[in-house]
Amino acid sequence: MGECIRLEYDVDGENFASAGHASESVKRTLKQMGVSPASVRRVAIAMYEGEINMVIHAHGGRAIAEIYPDRIDIYLRDTGPGIADVDLAMRAGYSTATENIRSLGFGAGMGLPNMKKYSDEMKIDTAVGVGTTVFLRIRF
Amino acid sequence: MTVSEFSKESGYAVFTKGEDRAIETGYCGDFLSNIISRATDACAWLTVMNNVNVAAVATLIDCACIILCEGVEPDEALYKRAESLGIWVLGTNDNVFEAAKTVARLCGV
Repeated sequence: MGECIRLEYDVDGENFASAGHASESVKRTLKQMGVSPASVRRVAIAMYEGEINMVIHAHGGRAIAEIYPDRIDIYLRDTGPGIADVDLAMRAGYSTATENIRSLGFGAGMGLPNMKKYSDEMKIDTAVGVGTTVFLRIRF
Repeated sequence: MTVSEFSKESGYAVFTKGEDRAIETGYCGDFLSNIISRATDACAWLTVMNNVNVAAVATLIDCACIILCEGVEPDEALYKRAESLGIWVLGTNDNVFEAAKTVARLCGV
């Protein structure tokens, strides 16, 4: 395993306005490193969905990105309510978001499906009442 | 056609300006997850959403501009974020369908 660039962000759970800062920052870094635009876009989308999920469902958390020459590993950690039924949560169109959240343009039930679609590997560790960690690996 | 040319030809309001890129296609939508997975870059994104997350999504998809339809104006947070990120935000009283027709006609997309 080669050397990596490690970036860490606080995702503020109370603040929709700051949602997207981590993915924007990672996107900028990857662009500067000369990663292909298609790969940068996949990373940005997957990570943004993860950030938004943390804001909507888990009162925020930590987003960690490890950038290697050939890939990025992303860990999205929260201490939120956990996901009771992961298969159901993964189903496109299924959402537990409130009307208020939907009025902001979220809650289409596409967050986790998009994260899966744009990553090469995805793993969800979750426990109800404890929290959730989503691991994403995207190869360049 | 570039965004500045489009804004002049269409007469749409200009709320914020950015890099003057060509509009190569369009996308209509309000659900942000759909937009980030389906809109293509260099598009004009037509929406009635006007909160700050619109700016984050516009950055992710690298759209040429946002067009707020049906008389929607950016709220203060969106205005500030779009201005700082250098994102074009235009506005029209037209509904999304009419605005999409205008984009298609003027930009030949």
